[in-house]
Amino acid sequence: MIEVNDLTKVFKKPIRGNGLSGMVKTLFSRKYDEIRAVDGISFTVPDGEIVGYIGANGAGKSTTIKMMCGILTPTSGTVFIDGVEPYRKRRQVAQRIGVVFGQKTQLWWDIPLVESFKVLKEIYQISDADYRERMDFLGEVLDITRFLSQPVRTLSLGERMRADLAASMLHNPRILFLDEPTIGMDVLVKEKIRLAIRALNKTYGTTVVLTTHDMTDIENLCSRIILLEKGSILYDGPQKSLKTRFGNIKTLTLTVPAEIHAETAPMLSPEVAVSEADGRLVLRFDADKVALEQAIQYAFRDLHAMDMKIAEISIGDVVKTILEQQEAEHAEKV
Amino acid sequence: MLKKYKPFLRAGAIDTMAYRFNILIWAAITVCEVACMVFLWLAVYRSSEGGIDAEIHGFTYREMIAYVVLTTIFNFVTYNNDTLWNINTDIKKGTVGNYLIKPISYRGKFAATSLGNLLTMTLMFGVPLYAAALVTLGVLGFLPGLSFPAFFANLGLFLLSGLCASLLNDTISYIFGILCFYTSSGWGLNSLKVTLISFLSGTLLPIAFFPKGLREVVSRMPFAGMSQNPVLILMMKYDLKESLRCVALSVAWIVVLELFAKLLFSHAVRKVTVHGG
Repeated sequence: MIEVNDLTKVFKKPIRGNGLSGMVKTLFSRKYDEIRAVDGISFTVPDGEIVGYIGANGAGKSTTIKMMCGILTPTSGTVFIDGVEPYRKRRQVAQRIGVVFGQKTQLWWDIPLVESFKVLKEIYQISDADYRERMDFLGEVLDITRFLSQPVRTLSLGERMRADLAASMLHNPRILFLDEPTIGMDVLVKEKIRLAIRALNKTYGTTVVLTTHDMTDIENLCSRIILLEKGSILYDGPQKSLKTRFGNIKTLTLTVPAEIHAETAPMLSPEVAVSEADGRLVLRFDADKVALEQAIQYAFRDLHAMDMKIAEISIGDVVKTILEQQEAEHAEKV
Repeated sequence: MLKKYKPFLRAGAIDTMAYRFNILIWAAITVCEVACMVFLWLAVYRSSEGGIDAEIHGFTYREMIAYVVLTTIFNFVTYNNDTLWNINTDIKKGTVGNYLIKPISYRGKFAATSLGNLLTMTLMFGVPLYAAALVTLGVLGFLPGLSFPAFFANLGLFLLSGLCASLLNDTISYIFGILCFYTSSGWGLNSLKVTLISFLSGTLLPIAFFPKGLREVVSRMPFAGMSQNPVLILMMKYDLKESLRCVALSVAWIVVLELFAKLLFSHAVRKVTVHGG
């Protein structure tokens, strides 16, 4: 179980002047800019849950993860991992968690992959039986058996990421922190990684905290979403409720005759927004307010649609809308 | 608990082999350096009041030459770890986080690596170099202090003091490395460390040659145990009591410095900022 209470991290950044004179001044003056990377957030993650921790670049996701796994010490507030504060009892917590930073490998660059695993086996004091069982499981779900004997530096990015994931799961952690595990991966590798995370969660009941910019990851894996922006939580709840935050939004994309345009088309009701994109007409409406059937009839009868695609709003669209609203509000204040 | 550190011990032992070429270059440079030192000391003794056979601060010129040769071998075998640089790299590249999320102590990892290093160096280079140097110097009569069979018992004390020296060096290196958390750069700290150690450990000049006040202070500091004392123990310039006192002093310093390192690390780790990603 992860408990985060009023967690805050402030980074101090020295203010540097421009040019040579500025540099000299920086040597003597110590003025700092304070950056509140994480600003008073609280949440609890129960055992066995997969949480999507999302937000724009620089929202404070990685900083939170680093505090949860004991790399960074909070400026204020607390984190408890199964009742223990990671930045105080680093080693005790380290035994219970696994961490992957998608942008950095934790494997030893020059030695064969399997040797890295053997080192980890000793560091985490994994018994021979457990080690064999886990290697079988991970070899299968992550498909890493083929390149076990290769030095890590010769692996492709996809292979390396799978190896890193395997390394983080080797000691059967209770909690897994995955910071952008699918960054730069092709669709097949992404799919493999998702399957592995799900298999691990199902087989061992591992809690997973996942940050990603790929909304497909989120839709496939996470029942719960925490949305972070500028260090504060904007949304924390089930994926489903986030999806219907702006209503049960549906879009109909229509192929229509050339003479029909958005501005001149007959209206059905003010609830249905009509726009044009790529020579097609897009109807956007809340299906709880305007019946889908009615909208379809309108599309064929009044707009003479020849083809039609019905789509639900995606998590990505919702998040985008929320972040845009935030940015607009912020711009107004300034 | 200590089993966790076995892979680092092994890595330290194996890594040393990877630098064989460096070691050859080092050997070439060192032979020249030792020759310079020998001629320098000969000149010093010749121009002294008592002439070449004078005894200066307890050293005859023969003993001084033996001291220079043995100190060079000792430093080579004992000090080849890169703890400071490795910490510096960990901080610069942000890889320090990789160790902070593992259930091992950062200090323990470096101590194990460094011991692995010492083990390989002692077996691979230490044994043949010491043997060759001791036989040659002994036959030439440059080691008047040696007596048998006491020498073999003394060898145990020497090995122990060598182990202490290596640990002291690694701890000091680690402390300077941790200071990189504050300075974000290892260059200055490394030069400071190297200068401090080569001067205060008696490598440049035996501590007996220092002015009285300074000598009193330096001989109580940890540095003498890092080079001068082990070599003088090997040369049997110290009696048993003095040898034991030196080893005890080193052990005490190791404890003090390790405790300090622990405090420093727990303060420094709060300063960690791993940016990006």
